[in-house]
Amino acid sequence: MILVWGSQNDTPVARVLEALEVRGCDIYHVAESALANLQYDIVFSASAPSGWIESGGRRVAVNQFRGIYLRPGEHVAGNAQNAAMVLLALAGSLRSVVVNRPAAGRSNTSKPYQIGLIERAGFQVPDTLVTTDPTAARAFLRKHSRLVYKSLSGIRSIVATLDVSEEGRLDNVRNGPVQLQAYVRGLDVRVHIVKDQWFACSVESAAADYRYAGPTGTTAELSAFDLPEKVGRQLVKMVRGLNLLVAGVDLRRTPEGSWVCFEVNPSPGFPWYEETTGHQIAEAIANLLAS
Amino acid sequence: MIVVVGSRHDSVATDLVASWPEAALCSAEDFVSPGWVWPLSQPESRTWIVNTKQVRDAQVTGIFIRRPTVYPEELATTHPDDRAFVASEIHAFLMFVLATTSARVVNPVCDGAFGEEALRPERWSTVASELGIPVRPLRVSSGPRRRTRYRTYGVEVIGAEVFGDAPSRVLESARRFMAALGLTWGTLRFDARHRLITVTGAGRPSDAAAAALGRLLKAGHS
Repeated sequence: MILVWGSQNDTPVARVLEALEVRGCDIYHVAESALANLQYDIVFSASAPSGWIESGGRRVAVNQFRGIYLRPGEHVAGNAQNAAMVLLALAGSLRSVVVNRPAAGRSNTSKPYQIGLIERAGFQVPDTLVTTDPTAARAFLRKHSRLVYKSLSGIRSIVATLDVSEEGRLDNVRNGPVQLQAYVRGLDVRVHIVKDQWFACSVESAAADYRYAGPTGTTAELSAFDLPEKVGRQLVKMVRGLNLLVAGVDLRRTPEGSWVCFEVNPSPGFPWYEETTGHQIAEAIANLLAS
Repeated sequence: MIVVVGSRHDSVATDLVASWPEAALCSAEDFVSPGWVWPLSQPESRTWIVNTKQVRDAQVTGIFIRRPTVYPEELATTHPDDRAFVASEIHAFLMFVLATTSARVVNPVCDGAFGEEALRPERWSTVASELGIPVRPLRVSSGPRRRTRYRTYGVEVIGAEVFGDAPSRVLESARRFMAALGLTWGTLRFDARHRLITVTGAGRPSDAAAAALGRLLKAGHS
């Protein structure tokens, strides 16, 4: 049986559910809206957890879950929060295929911390400075001529650029830590890793953040991309090193042909990339969960 | 210098700062003050703000973490609409700082978490099991709660030093357990059958443990 935790309105969850259904898997879906009414009685011990959970009148022994896919929402409270904590503890403790274990996904809650891990995995990363010091920020801008700034945390933010003509704006960094990165020219490539498989998609866009190309009056053209085998293998190794089974990795291929890695998303929103490339990412995840 | 990352309203943090030589508190206010410089490369230019003053990372020998995160409510000088976002950004920044500082961090960042978040049972119960330390099962239920009262005792571990009134084999197990987890400080709670219940770094260290911690943090990695 496969446990899927997440809202059906969330397209990755919907796609994984669909792929599991096509595969004929026995699915136990805990919707976000059902969390508050989730019943459970579980014993956590040094060996695997035992007990049951019950949702929508269906009670299941937790040791029946051979695969778990989770994409929890945010900001639940009361009974729903307690139930979420229990499901997270299960996902961290059961000896099942878990996409992804909660502890493995935490590196993405601090992007500069994660970029250090990416660098250690052997990838080039953009020169990065976190600062509240306007003088240091100005020096960093002069060094690189053009910068990218984006949130440090897992909170989604629109990536924006800054060039030397806007140096005065850096006085604002004094109010709280700001992450600045050297701007890297090149072609955006998003690679989804599903255990040993990779699905690469190039994105051509004039927008600083192609995810928001529409609102900025630009376009984003997505195409299936033939990723060099060596890079694919290196990504699989890095993702495995982060204890992730599934990830969305953001890279840029520079005009000189080198690869710069920006971020590893442990809970990627892959359907947008699937739609244009025809990649079968949800199917690969379903196969993994059922393996 | 020893840096205690904590709140001015946490008496454990302020007492430790008072008792340790060359110690200072790095508070939530410091994270929204100008002067932090923390590049990914060039570690020699990394600079803290501690108690409103700039401090080179190279001057810091030890860091003691006394908080799980920075809360929006602590950011009194930040616009209320921005506090939740800024608190989240500070948490991410603090993780980066703690993971990359040249100082000894008690306890180190693990799997993208620090403080109590890094001491979740799924991390330590496996290690306990591998070392042959019995773990008291934990039952969680959505049904009516029945409180079970039982006796417990605590053992404090600081580096290779162990404090507590327990059988010597338990003390030795506690030391090996913490070393296997890469933890420098923590209190292990056991039940009367010497089964491990929990591990925490959130308690107030005993006087002896606080003194040992101070020595260790002052010595840094040496």
